[in-house]
Amino acid sequence: MIEFDAVGLAYERGRPALDDVSFSLAGGSFTFLTGHSGAGKSSLLRLVARLERPTHGAIRVGGIDYAGLRPRQESALRRQMGIVFQDNRLLDDRSVFDNVALPLIIGGWRFSDICTRVQAALDKVGLGNRGDARPEVLSGGEQQRVGIARAVVARPKLLLADEPTGNLDPDISADILELLMQFNASGVTVLFATHDTALLDAYDFPRLTLSRGSIQSRP
Amino acid sequence: MKPLDENTAEVTSVAGARWRYGRRGYALAASFAQLGGRKLASATTLMALGITLALPALLLFTMDSLDTLASRSLEGESLTLYLNTELPAGDSARLRSEVAASPGIRETRYISPSEALETFRKQADVDAALIALGKNPLPGAIVVYPDTDQLEDAAIRALATALGALPGVERVQADLRWVRRLQAAVALAQLVAILLAGFLLLTALLVIANTIRLELSRRRNELEVSRLLGASSGFLARPVIYAGAVYGFLGGLIGNVLALLALQLLRGPADDLARLYGSGFLLSLPSLERLGLILLVSTLLGLLAALLTLYGPSRQKVGGGP
Repeated sequence: MIEFDAVGLAYERGRPALDDVSFSLAGGSFTFLTGHSGAGKSSLLRLVARLERPTHGAIRVGGIDYAGLRPRQESALRRQMGIVFQDNRLLDDRSVFDNVALPLIIGGWRFSDICTRVQAALDKVGLGNRGDARPEVLSGGEQQRVGIARAVVARPKLLLADEPTGNLDPDISADILELLMQFNASGVTVLFATHDTALLDAYDFPRLTLSRGSIQSRP
Repeated sequence: MKPLDENTAEVTSVAGARWRYGRRGYALAASFAQLGGRKLASATTLMALGITLALPALLLFTMDSLDTLASRSLEGESLTLYLNTELPAGDSARLRSEVAASPGIRETRYISPSEALETFRKQADVDAALIALGKNPLPGAIVVYPDTDQLEDAAIRALATALGALPGVERVQADLRWVRRLQAAVALAQLVAILLAGFLLLTALLVIANTIRLELSRRRNELEVSRLLGASSGFLARPVIYAGAVYGFLGGLIGNVLALLALQLLRGPADDLARLYGSGFLLSLPSLERLGLILLVSTLLGLLAALLTLYGPSRQKVGGGP
């Protein structure tokens, strides 16, 4: 599903964020992406989401070679992924329903499908009756659930989670992880970036560990 | 946007909601949300735009009236041939026919000495003086209307010289000069108005572009999130382009209203002034086409400002990214 071949990424004026990173993740897998802060986890996820371009090396996701992708193709590629952020990045000026509907509006889905899918996604994360609420009135855990609903509403093949439990209590973190595991069970490939040792110890998933931009261990 | 009802069947019956969840509807709703989100700032911007656009609109409407006056004056321009006082009436009629047959003459009119005297009497209290003279001192005259569509200034002057040389013609008076002066003044005023309008339209363009730029900065999070969710550059640009058009259209609307109000205020004094000079000048209200033209130009201006913000030399990248 995800293949990195000697991938490097360097930002202007600084040491490389990633250095000759090579790994391969199978479709339908659930993988922890671990490493200390600044190890390069977010950079790796941004490369997968094609939000950054590698300085060198080759990336293939779902059989698509990233080299030479046009901007329109990059957008289409991102529409096939779901992304969950640590700070959830919900839009405060719209309802929960509208936040979750945004990927479908972007994708040009039919109105009836938008209604059905958004409601189904909210039901799935246990917020079926909070569609009319503004994100600001929800708890941190509920906001993260909305973020997950938004990430999965278009039924992506790949789910990228960038420290989604970073700001949450341990119990809620476990709930969020269980939720992502449910999506994984339905065939979605999940790459879950975290440095939460409690979670890592509690769940025995394959790990891709980064240290100072290099692979320390791979699944 | 408002949330939708849980009942899908009920929701689908709401045409407005259906429209808002389409790509174009979403973009238009987002552009109106920009205006509605910060009401005071938007109102201030629109008012500034309206005032900026009102001045070119007012200049355009005023120029239309001046143009009409200049054209009308040109139609009335004429040469007056004063005839020898001793010329018999029959010779005067023959001379008029001869002049009328000359090339470049649109129309002629003969004013007999008695008609001239009657007109003179109506305009001035000169009865006593005329009685003292004992006879009518006024000559007959032929008023010649050159074909101004065909003849240039120089040709009309040459025509005046030629007609002045005809036997029986004592003097030629060209009533062209003031018309030409008026036309020159109107042309100059038009040029100044065009330049001024150009500067003001440029100002409006910059106001809209700056507003959009600020709005893009304010909505950075939304744009970035949309991009992360797979929004294409077209999807991200569409609300910006719509917002430019909306700003331009509403600014043009306010500009039209302000220009009409100003014109209404100016009409009375302008008519009074024209009446004092015996002119038929009328500061007329603009036609619907003219008002539509202002709206069209202002909307296009808004679109241009949005496109310049997005794709111009100092373009603002929407949604960040590599």
